[in-house]
Formats: sequence, C-alpha cells, structure tokens
Amino acid sequence: MSEPGHTRPLAALRRDDSPAFGGKSAALGELIAAEIPVAPGFALSTGAFRAFVREAGLDGKIAAELSRVAPGDVDSVVRASHAISEAMRFAPVPAPVRDEIARAYAELADEAGVREPPVAVRSSALGEDGEDATFAGQLESYLWVRGAEHVADAVRDCWVSLFGPPAIAYRAHVGQEEPAMGVAVQLMVDAQVSGVLFTCNPVSGDPSMVAVNASWGLGLAVVGGEVTPDDFLVSKVTGEVVRERIHVKDVEYVPDAGGNGAVRADVPEERRAIACLDGTALEALVEVGRRVERGFGAHQDVEWAIARDVGLPDGLFVLQARPVTGLPERAASPENVSAMARVMSMFGARDTEA
Amino acid sequence: METASPVGSFPSPYEVETPPGCEGWEELYPYYALFDDVRREVDEQRFWFWNSMHFPLPMPAFDAICIDTAYQSLGSWQNRVFAVPPAMGIDYRCLNGYIYISGNPVTDPERIAERAQHFQQRAGHYFEHWDELYGAWRTKMEALIAELEALEVPGLHELEPDEVAFGDQETSYCAVLDAYRRALRLSDLMWQNHFEFLLLGYGAYVTFAELCKAHLPDIPDQHIAQMVAGLDVTLFRPDAELRRLARLALDTGVDGAFVEGRTPAEIDEALAESESGREWLAELEAVKDPWFHMATGDGLYHYYGSWLDDPTIPYASLTGHIGALRAGEEIDRPTDHVATERDRLASEYGALLDDDARKGFDELLALSRTVFPYVEEHKFLCDYWFLTSWWNTIREFGGLLAEHGFLEDREDVFQLSRLEVYSALDELLLTWATGGQPRGPSYWPPIVAKRKELLERLAEWTPPPAVGAVPEAILDPALIMLWGVTTQRVHAWAQESDDGSELSGTPASPGVVEGVARVVRHVSEIGDVREGEILVCSITSPAWAPIFSKIQAAVTDIGGVMSHAAIVCREYALPAVVGTGRATSQISTGQRIRVDGSAGSVTLLE
Repeated sequence: MSEPGHTRPLAALRRDDSPAFGGKSAALGELIAAEIPVAPGFALSTGAFRAFVREAGLDGKIAAELSRVAPGDVDSVVRASHAISEAMRFAPVPAPVRDEIARAYAELADEAGVREPPVAVRSSALGEDGEDATFAGQLESYLWVRGAEHVADAVRDCWVSLFGPPAIAYRAHVGQEEPAMGVAVQLMVDAQVSGVLFTCNPVSGDPSMVAVNASWGLGLAVVGGEVTPDDFLVSKVTGEVVRERIHVKDVEYVPDAGGNGAVRADVPEERRAIACLDGTALEALVEVGRRVERGFGAHQDVEWAIARDVGLPDGLFVLQARPVTGLPERAASPENVSAMARVMSMFGARDTEA
Repeated sequence: METASPVGSFPSPYEVETPPGCEGWEELYPYYALFDDVRREVDEQRFWFWNSMHFPLPMPAFDAICIDTAYQSLGSWQNRVFAVPPAMGIDYRCLNGYIYISGNPVTDPERIAERAQHFQQRAGHYFEHWDELYGAWRTKMEALIAELEALEVPGLHELEPDEVAFGDQETSYCAVLDAYRRALRLSDLMWQNHFEFLLLGYGAYVTFAELCKAHLPDIPDQHIAQMVAGLDVTLFRPDAELRRLARLALDTGVDGAFVEGRTPAEIDEALAESESGREWLAELEAVKDPWFHMATGDGLYHYYGSWLDDPTIPYASLTGHIGALRAGEEIDRPTDHVATERDRLASEYGALLDDDARKGFDELLALSRTVFPYVEEHKFLCDYWFLTSWWNTIREFGGLLAEHGFLEDREDVFQLSRLEVYSALDELLLTWATGGQPRGPSYWPPIVAKRKELLERLAEWTPPPAVGAVPEAILDPALIMLWGVTTQRVHAWAQESDDGSELSGTPASPGVVEGVARVVRHVSEIGDVREGEILVCSITSPAWAPIFSKIQAAVTDIGGVMSHAAIVCREYALPAVVGTGRATSQISTGQRIRVDGSAGSVTLLE
C-alpha cells in the first residue's frame, strides 16, 4: 500500500481530516469551505512528522525520555524537553517530505505570483483547537519565512515545539499520549492591524455582540499580551459600536527588513493613542464573525489580520477560529412562565403565584 | 437590584434658600404642598427628585391643578384600584416654585402579599381585555373632548335673556358657576382616564425590557424601544401630515407661497390667490382636525398651546419640508427605516435566543406592542388635545373676569389657583347680581402682578436634581417606568454634585458628535435654535419635531429611552443622551460639548 501524500491544500481539508492533519489545518479548511477569507496555503500531515521521527530513529529516545517525566516535576520536564529537542534539531527532514514541501511551496508561489513568498508556518497538533482541550499558545508558529529550505526548517522547528516544556507538561497533565503534529503553511498576511474577535461578549455571554481586540502590526502583540489592545463591543444586529476603549499601543510586530522573520518595533508616536480600527473595518469584522459563527454553529474565538495596502473587505483574513470556552452561564429561562406572570412579577406580585 | 451603598448626598429641602427677591413664593401654592416644619422629620429623610420631566419651570398657581389632579389619579389607580404590591402613590412638595416628588412604598410583606392578590385579579382583567377596554377608553376620551369643546362660558349682560324670564333657562350666575364646575370636573375625568392604562402599559414594556437584558446583557436600551415602538406612531402623525402637505404643495405648484420669514397669515393669503392654493388650504383644513391639536410643548403648562393656537411651528415645518424636497431630499425615509428596522431587530434578536427565552420574548414583545398605542395615544388625546383646549376654556373664564375688571388680562387667570378663580367668580357673580361695588378689581390685579414677577425670578433659579436622603435603592415601579429614575441614576446624581465637566445619562440614540450647545428652557425659545446646534433642554415634546431636522444631537435633564426626545432622535438618527439630571443647569448656550449617545455621556469641552 502506498503512503498517502504528506501535503494537501488547506481548501481541501474538512473537520474529519483532523486526525491526519491536526486541528488547526482542519479548522482552516472548514473556514474556507464556509467562504470565510483565509490566506491560501497547504497542510502537512501528522504522517510527515511520524516519518521524520521514524527515519531519524527517534521513537525509542522520545519514549524513553518521556517515561522519565513525573507530572508536576518541573526539572524532569525540562530535562526531557532538552534531550528530545536537541536530538530532533540535528535530525534531517526526510527527503520525500522535503520535496513535497518544496513542491507545495512552489505551487503557493505560483498562486501568489511571487517567487519566494513569505509564509507563516504554524503548528497544527492533534487536539489543538479542539473543542475539549484548548492547546493554544503552547506550540510555535514561525512568521515571515521565505524559501523552500527555510520552510522545511521551520516545519522541523514546529515539530520540536511539540516537546517544549509547556507542551510536555500539558500533555502529562491531561494524560495525552503519543504526540503527533501537522503543520499549516500559509501565505503571510502583512498585517497593518490584527487581533482577536469573539462572536459573543465573552464576559457577559451576550450572543448579540461581537467583541474585538485589536492592535497594530502582526497578531503576536495582542496574543502575547504585550500591548493593551483597543477594545470594541459591536452589535451584530445593527453594527453599532456599543463600547469602545482605545488604549496606548506602543509596540507592534512587523516584517524584518532583512526579509526573514518578524521583529518587535516601537509604534510611531502619532499612531499610538488612536483607534487602530475604523467603522468600515469593524463592519467587515462583524460580518466575518457572523459567517464564522454560522459556519461552526457555536461561538468562536477568531484570530484575524487586516493586510496593509489592500483595502477592505479583501484585506481581511481569518487566521484561525476555535470554540469559545468558559462562557458565563446564561440566565436560565424559567420554563412555562407566561408573559402575564412575568409582568405580574415586574409589579412585585411574584410571591403569590400559584 | 443595586447593592452598592449610596455615595454622595443631596441638600436638605429645609436648607435650600429662597432666591433673592422671591420671598413669599409659597402663597402661589396650596398649604399642603410645602416642606413645612410639622412634617420635617419625615420629609427630610425621604428622597425627593425634581420632576423636571413634567414641570421643568416654576408652576403658575392655576397650573398646579396638573399636579394635584394628576397625582390624585395616579395614586388612585396605582394604590387604590390596582394595588400595585410594593408601591402606593406619589407625594409632591413645591420648593421655590419647582415640583419635587417622592414615592410611598409598601414595606410590610404581609400587606404586599395581600395587595399582590388584588393586583393579579385587577391588572389581569385589564391585560386580558385590553383591546376591548382600550376601545371603550378611546370612546370615553373622545366624548370627553367633545363635551369640553361644547362647553360654553356664558356672558353676563345688563338684563338676563328672555329665555330666563319667559322660559326655564337658568340664571347666569348659576350657569357661569356650573360651567366652571364642569370645566374642573372635565379635568378630573381627563386625568382619571390619563392614568387608567398608563402603569400597566409601561409595566408590560419594562417586563419585556428586563427579559431582553437577562438574555442579551449588552443590548442597548434603544434597541428594545425600537422593537416595540414605531410603525404608525400617533405622535409623529402630525409631522407626517405636514410632510404629505409639503409634497402636495410642490406637486400642485403652490409651494411658492412658502417663503422663509412670512407669517402663517401671509402664507395663507398668498395661497388663497389661486385655485390650486385654495384647494391646498382645504386639504390643510382637513388635516387640522385632529392633527393640529398637537401641543407646542409638553402640555402641562397653560402657555403650551396647540398648533391651532400658534401655527408658527407647523408652518415653519412646512417651509422646511418644502425646502428639503426642492433640494431633492427624501423626507419620508426615516419613518420607513424605523418600520423595517423594528421588524428586523425583533427577528434578529429573537433568533439569537434559545427556545424558552424565545417564547417569552415573542409573547412579551406582542404584549408590549399591544399596549404601546395607548402609551402614545393618551399623550395625544389627554396631554395635547384635551389640555390645550381646556386651557382655552379657562382663558374664557379669565376673559369674563377681565371684562369686569377683576383681571387686567384674561391670561392673568392662570396666576390664581383654581380655588381662587372660583372665589373671584363667586364675587363677580354676587356683585354683578346685586349691582354693588366689587372688591375684586382692586384685590386681584396686585396679587397677579406680584406672582408674575415671582415666577420670572424663580425661573432664574436652578433647582438641584434631588433633595433629602439618598435612597439605597429605587424599588417603586412607577418611578422606574415613568421617570426612568433608577438606583444607578440617583446615585450618579448624588456623586455628580461636585464636578460638572462630565454628565452621564441614559444612552438613548447612538452616535458621537461635538458641537455648540443651545440651552432651551422654554418652548418660546425654540425659535432661537440654529442649524447644527446641540439641543439641551429639560424635556422635549414631539411638537418640537421641526427643530430636530436642524440640530445634530439632543441632551435632556430627565426621561428614559422611551421619552420623546429619545424617540425623535432615533427617528432622525441623531445622538441623544437623556436623563442627565442637570444638563440645563450645567451647560450654557454657546458652550462646546461632546455628546456620546452610545455611552450616555456628555462632556463639557470648555
């Protein structure tokens, strides 16, 4: 039986592909299917990771190191992480996988019409972005990567992050075994503004609101908590901005002038204290939020970016979406209470109801 | 319910000083309307707020009937008819000519439970038979207005007419006194009708609002209001008719008569010159009954006449609409927009709820929409149509008194209390009958002169939004429903006493604008409003509609999201903040302010 291909266009993936390509890639495929704007790209399967581990002969080493980890013992986690990471970093990416990445990258370059387009290389672990375990933020993404060789290296770096101390500790804590990881490779969105939106107010649970956090540059600053983002609460129903808190945003992540990676920079004085989104942008975000919610049938936490110099709505891209967890309990609606009984109770006649 | 303990304070009503030159203001009002020493211990511990929503200006002695009778009626329905469990009626006191009110709570749980049973039966009966009862109410109200319009004030002649001598017509002294008593009785009945459905109507609405907020915690209040109100709004009908007439004027080519600066009489004269102009005037005549019974103000003062009394406002509005039509503007759009938006909001919000909540939402929305026409219509029939006609009837009694020298002018009748007018009529009829020398002509004019001067001086004074104790919580449904006075609002008033650079109120219509303020304390000043200004007033009336096409935002002292300013601003898509408590006293005309109708804040920029 021939080994299935290790790469697949993101647009071809669906939720069912999650075991083979990881949660993030599958979710991106679903977003595309729901006609939500997602930067084009391809996914690398968990099989590629397994091939890498197998060919490098690392199975035994990984199992042995992990068996010495005691949950809650930080030192044991750090020791195992260090040993496994070192071994992986010096192992070669198998040639067939490398070739496949190069071919998919070349196709992406054709699509973009650029010879070596910058891409984001993002972890797509099993269980990540799943509805039960929110694995977010523990695995690495590499931004602004150019050239097939660098992409393959970034893919390996993503794999390595599967054995970073936080990820090992997390799996030990939840009892997850046999880690594996897919990777998503997407054309880079040169974000002028980026952030997170919730398809409800995550604080009050109000389903008629979209909550938006936004700051200048790439999303790292918001996700990493390095700036206090501008905070908007927008009515889905009318699009009006119900609450707006503009904060001073003094740092942003921008592409490195050298052409590889993203760097932290000071936000120019004149942009720091002003709102980073205007009415048009909020309108586009609310629309996308509503589409995501419709497509997924539950409240979603959506990372997004608005590309520089593209204009809206074309410049707006969704980077990922995952279910909102930990929403406040909604007021239970008393069953079978008539409208009249409710009115009576408004007048203070609640205590004598039969 | 709010749990925060009250912060800040209000002045004691007993320590509020009489403004210089206003000594003796108390004589305008009944003995029981004052903060007196006998009740001091109790009154000082109660929470009293300035009812600037209904009484933004010092009360003329006669107009105080709109306090006494209104609260007789409100108390009767709330306390004695429906037995609203936790609340009896509203007490009032007069301070430097301004009206402060306070609710009487029921605190004994047993009594509340007992009242709850009666309330369920009685209010239940009303809700159950709403359409039928409301239909009967309209008939009753229309008959009352017809009776008022038929009421004639007899004249006094040298000799009684032949019908008295040769027929069985009653003598004039009986007829005049009877007419006056009937006028007072009609006022009693109007106020009785005014409050019959009011609490229940607002109650249904507030219940719907609470349900929305339980499931959609961030829903703006104005969206709730928009879902309920809106389609065929009686109070907008007069202006809608003017829009129609404006279009007709253009279509039939008579619009040239409407020249800025012309008086209504001059415009009529120009129209009467052509056949099509005369046809247009006939159409206008048809619209006048009933729509020109719209009041120029909120009705509770004698000087707020109707459009019939003062056609300046509707004619200015016609001129404005014609100008807009000539400029190619679509003047009907806002109303259509309100109608579609109302249904869109209801279906979109409804779709966001789970099945149980959806059921309650749909039922309460339907109930609110059922009761809402009353909420609007009572305003038009009672406050505008009846009252403006009724003041004119009282004016006729003033004319009789003036004719016989008891008053210098018929308008002066409003400087006497209703009982003093009775007394003056009594003496007039006595001395007219006897042919003796009346005391009235030397007695009343100095009193009138003094009171007019007092009212002018009292108008300069700015009342504090509240006096007495800061309450821990506002539980009275009437205060919350009718005045929008909530615990949160009252606490904000108490804290704001010191710093006036930022005012907070109820966000009533979304949007943010900066501009120049125009403070309007009296309807006679609305002609001063300039294009692009921000209207700052105690409360507006729908009769002010024409100026809403000029202004860019509105701020009021009192009122909730269902207040007229709020409704009109949403109609015109202007930002509005209502219920700020003190906008007219903190802001001056010409000052730059920022109005945030989404957040409910007003910032004084200079």
